[in-house]
Amino acid sequence: MTDIAVDVSNVSKKFRLYHERNQSLKSAVMRRRVSVHEDFWALQDVSFEVPTGSTFGLIGSNGSGKSTLLKCLSKILYPEKGSITAHGKLAAMLEVGSGFHPELSGRENIYLNGSILGMGRKEIERKFDEIVDFSGVEHFIDQPVKNYSSGMYVRLGFSVAISVEPEILVVDEVLAVGDADFQKKCQRKFEDLRSEGKTVILVSHSMDTVERMCDRAAWLQNGTLRAVGDAAPTIAAYKSSL
Amino acid sequence: MSYIKEVLGARELLSNLVLREVRGQYKRTIFGRLWSLISPLASMLVYTFVFSFVFKVQPAKGNPSGLDVYAVWLLCGLLPWTFFANAVNAGMGSLVVNAGLITKVYFPRLVLPVSSVFSVAYNWGFEMIILVVAIVVVGGFVWPWLPFVVLMMLVLAVFATGVGLLLSIANVYFRDTQYLLGIILQIWMYLTPIVYPVSLVAGQSDRIGGIFGTPITILDIYELNPMLHFVGVFRTLLYDNTWPMVSDVVACIVWALLALVVGAWVFSRKEKRLAELL
Repeated sequence: MTDIAVDVSNVSKKFRLYHERNQSLKSAVMRRRVSVHEDFWALQDVSFEVPTGSTFGLIGSNGSGKSTLLKCLSKILYPEKGSITAHGKLAAMLEVGSGFHPELSGRENIYLNGSILGMGRKEIERKFDEIVDFSGVEHFIDQPVKNYSSGMYVRLGFSVAISVEPEILVVDEVLAVGDADFQKKCQRKFEDLRSEGKTVILVSHSMDTVERMCDRAAWLQNGTLRAVGDAAPTIAAYKSSL
Repeated sequence: MSYIKEVLGARELLSNLVLREVRGQYKRTIFGRLWSLISPLASMLVYTFVFSFVFKVQPAKGNPSGLDVYAVWLLCGLLPWTFFANAVNAGMGSLVVNAGLITKVYFPRLVLPVSSVFSVAYNWGFEMIILVVAIVVVGGFVWPWLPFVVLMMLVLAVFATGVGLLLSIANVYFRDTQYLLGIILQIWMYLTPIVYPVSLVAGQSDRIGGIFGTPITILDIYELNPMLHFVGVFRTLLYDNTWPMVSDVVACIVWALLALVVGAWVFSRKEKRLAELL
């Protein structure tokens, strides 16, 4: 076991800002180009290490590159430069319930969503009761999910996602799902993960959440890393910059 | 290598996605899965009326089966074609339809087009079973050729997957692809000997001879169409009840592998940028 769960080294991510984008053949041919764009660096040379077993917060204002970094961590986007190395199984929760089919039942969707998140059939079968139990939708598990309330929908999605049991969990502000009761449950789950020595990387705008949960933090501003280290001083530095 | 390993590791995801399509497709309909049979049946009736009854197209009798039923002869070519057309269509749209998934979760993206081809193949399987029953009813002796039919169905599925992969990427860049494809498929169908026998084209081609003074005949160009070979093979097996020409089978396999290699190569190159492009 290494001491470092995720190694982010010199990561830069470029986006294209389109002034003109020809997504149809006619306009592409007429204008003789597919697009006119300028490069926008959403992340520039970001490097830090996330120690194993820590709860790591990513903070920064809107547009600072937090979500881009999170998507790079979860392999949805690929950085132009630099590399991200994860030591251990990594799972990301950027949105819960993505991939649910509205016409299928909760049961079928657990299997579907579980396999999208990389779980095998046996693994899902083993965890099935736990997932249903955690979501609290027992009565409706054989109903199509389109009939679920939005709360039930995200609760089920969250329960499937959290059951992946990764060594490293990457979370976008999904803690704010469900009612107070469910949120408490989630809190406890995250505390369990922490006490089991799992690494959690978290993006949040709520400084309270970050202060309460994280022991380490990184502060991003306009795509560059401003500070990284223990949570309290980093948050203080970010707050004083506002 | 690790890429292939990853795709193979996603087999369960693939089967779950196929199930999602198959189970979700005919929900909330009264006839359910019957709809997948009604549509080829309707085309069969229309084409039989127009081409057999009105235009008097007469394909040669099945040799050696002796079958002489236009509707059955038509279906032997039409069912593989509709599978191909539907599979390519579904594969092409699969990335754009699942944009929400691609931008939020990581998994090998290849499973999306492949699963939509498979779910179309699932319906095709039923259609082919009905066709076999029909052939038996009108007096064909098709049983010994069935294993080979299944094999050729796989080859056609590979071909459709390759084309679907290629077009799914094209559709991400240019949404015109979906509209263009509809027109191309329509033209392509009539350029394939489905509703008329290839002998009619051969006759015209012989009459005209080499075009523009070259030894190349219209038939030579006509035979460049990969679907012609597929339709030919299926018809020989199902309608004539005999071995197809080796050259046809080889052409099918070569086209299928070529499509798959090119499709997978383009797909794997563009796959990483999909989340940005969608």
